[in-house]
Amino acid sequence: MCAQHVADTSEVKWQKVLYERQPFPDNYVDQRFLEELRKNIYARKYQYWAVVFESSVVIQQLCSVCVFVVIWWYMDEGLLAPQWLFGTGLASSLVGYVLFDLIDGGDGRKKSGRTRWADLKSTLVFITFTYGFSPVLKTLTESVSTDTIYAMSVFMLLGHLIFFDYGANAAIVSSTLSLNMAIFASVCLASRLPRSLHAFIMVTFAIQIFALWPMLQKKLKAYTPRSYVGVTLLFAFSAFGGLLSISGVGAILFALLLFSISCLCPYYLIHLQLFKENIHGPWDEAEIKEDLSRFLS
Amino acid sequence: MANRRGGGQGQPPSVSPSPGSSGSLSTDRTCTHNICMVSDFFYPNMGGVESHIYQLSQCLIERGHKVITVTHAYGNRKGVRYLTNGLKVYYLPLRVMYNQSTATTLFHSLPLLRYIFVRERITIIHSHSSFSAMAHDALFHAKTMGLQTVFTDHSLFGFADVSSVLTNKLLTVSLCDTNHIICVSYTSKENTVLRAALNPEIVSVIPNAVDPTDFTPEPFRRHDSVITVVVVSRLVYRKGTDLLSGIIPELCQKYQELNFLIGGEGPKRIILEEVRERYQLHDRVQLLGALEHKDVRNVLVQGHIFLNTSLTEAFCMAIVEAASCGLQVVSTKVGGIPEVLPENLIILCEPSVKSLCEGLEKAIFQVKSGTLPAPENIHNVVKTFYTWRNVAERTEKVYERVSKESVLPMHKRLDRLISHCGPVTGYIFALLAVLSYLFLIFLQWMTPDSVIDVAIDATGPRRAWTHQWPRDKKRDENDKVSKSR
Repeated sequence: MCAQHVADTSEVKWQKVLYERQPFPDNYVDQRFLEELRKNIYARKYQYWAVVFESSVVIQQLCSVCVFVVIWWYMDEGLLAPQWLFGTGLASSLVGYVLFDLIDGGDGRKKSGRTRWADLKSTLVFITFTYGFSPVLKTLTESVSTDTIYAMSVFMLLGHLIFFDYGANAAIVSSTLSLNMAIFASVCLASRLPRSLHAFIMVTFAIQIFALWPMLQKKLKAYTPRSYVGVTLLFAFSAFGGLLSISGVGAILFALLLFSISCLCPYYLIHLQLFKENIHGPWDEAEIKEDLSRFLS
Repeated sequence: MANRRGGGQGQPPSVSPSPGSSGSLSTDRTCTHNICMVSDFFYPNMGGVESHIYQLSQCLIERGHKVITVTHAYGNRKGVRYLTNGLKVYYLPLRVMYNQSTATTLFHSLPLLRYIFVRERITIIHSHSSFSAMAHDALFHAKTMGLQTVFTDHSLFGFADVSSVLTNKLLTVSLCDTNHIICVSYTSKENTVLRAALNPEIVSVIPNAVDPTDFTPEPFRRHDSVITVVVVSRLVYRKGTDLLSGIIPELCQKYQELNFLIGGEGPKRIILEEVRERYQLHDRVQLLGALEHKDVRNVLVQGHIFLNTSLTEAFCMAIVEAASCGLQVVSTKVGGIPEVLPENLIILCEPSVKSLCEGLEKAIFQVKSGTLPAPENIHNVVKTFYTWRNVAERTEKVYERVSKESVLPMHKRLDRLISHCGPVTGYIFALLAVLSYLFLIFLQWMTPDSVIDVAIDATGPRRAWTHQWPRDKKRDENDKVSKSR
């Protein structure tokens, strides 16, 4: 403890205890200082292709937004008949509905306890209400300038991409907000279409692509990863093709974006792991790992 | 008021130096210091930091130093007060932000603190607790004024979440040019060195202390037909109340003669009440609610085993107090706890219900088989471990060392800030340091140091506070004298 006793240090070994008066000064630094320091004990090792696979969720969502905008453009230009879109949408929804139950052998349905009758009812209610309100949707934003509508749609679709639940456990994730923003964008865009039938079909399509399609994707990804990769590729190429038919520059930029997200970003993430320095030691607050609620239930 | 509460009879909780002892103690030292303790946490607030400052100040006064304490106003307790032995306390009218900590702008407190430092001829600023904004403000101003600085850290911090990343950055800034840092345990030292990127040579480890005369055993107070487990802590998540709620039903079902006595209050009390309700343990689990410091001992002596379930702890006074009362201690093995008591006095467990239950069962077995040492023997061992006089002696060495060092001149301080705290933060705080220096020059021009009255020393080598006063007559004045100048 006192400075003049430093000479004794060769014989007496320093101990990490406070109750003994040791012959070392108070600011003595032993070799054992920080020996319990651990680095990166909870750090995860990433595999390149696994990260690429996980990035497909983002790719899918970007493509959804792209396909939605392309379809809207075709409708707006009058190149796509609304009846045709409705028919295709209905058919693919039915296929998706059957697939949704086939993939997990009906386990999900049993767990949620939802009957087909309930599904049919909510579909009917939704379609009836959207159809009934489509004239209102059509005229809802008449007093707002078209530029404002476009700007608002862009922000809402960006917001949809930002808040979407990609599977990360973060505070910013909110699937409700994300879906609402997408639907809001679709209502905005639909109101600029020529007739109320167009508006009705556009909103229905938005529900299909922003609400139903991600649910099916999630199941595909969990149960049949291979087919999921195929679907993602197919979807990406169709989005690229659709965009190409409108604007070549836009399509190339879009392709670059997809490439950098799926190939460059994973590489960068793995590269950055080298710089990770997460320190742990006896000063960390202990975590209660047990489930204590059993004592109260 | 505060020390009345602490000590019971208007006496300080532990240290009441006799008039004779101070003279003999102060002879063997070469120089005395004028020390200013700064923290947001002081009496009438109760807690570890508060009693640490009070007890340390008392022992330093006993050793002939001049000590004053600066804190913020608590309710209508503002202005200057004198506590026992002339410990002068400034309660400054600063606004409290959160958890009894003041807001900080780095500037608004400079005029007041400068006045105090000049009036009292302070040479060393000793700040306490990293949660206290006022402590950091005082360090900043003291460096601007060219005074020596010492900082005591009482708590542990993680590194993982955003809030700790930010506070650690601020701590780096605050401590990078502080002369010396004191930590209460070796684990706390490692933590502080890492958090603030310090040279470990300028960090001393000086543990907390408890007053052994306050915590004496009294084996007759406990009922030997039952085994009583005592828990005294705030009932919050960090103290592991959730673990306690798992231990109680587990062990109460296994041992019919086991009772729990729980002192303390907090948001987690509700889950203990739920457990008690659900397992019908009203006669065996007693919840005492908030305890005053003087009542802690009376609760402790009723038990055989003391249980501490903290999830993080820098030093843990509670287990020393319990061991001093002669109880067998069972505790989680977190933070600095393994350093505090020798292995034969404590059973260390992992922070899980299973491990703590095993530890308690071991202790219960020892109580039943009578292999535990007598409480009086435990007390006699523990009372030699931690004393405030020893703490004061070691702190004095730090002051001695610091007073020989030079305070960094302005240009070196700026260099240190920029090189040590990262490019962005460094430059921001260097700018603030320059601004505060200009502000100080402005204040010195407004009221030159020579105009400021020198305060009468209540303590220290030329103390005006004498021991000849008949204590019982003047007790009220002893306790709190509101003195204007």
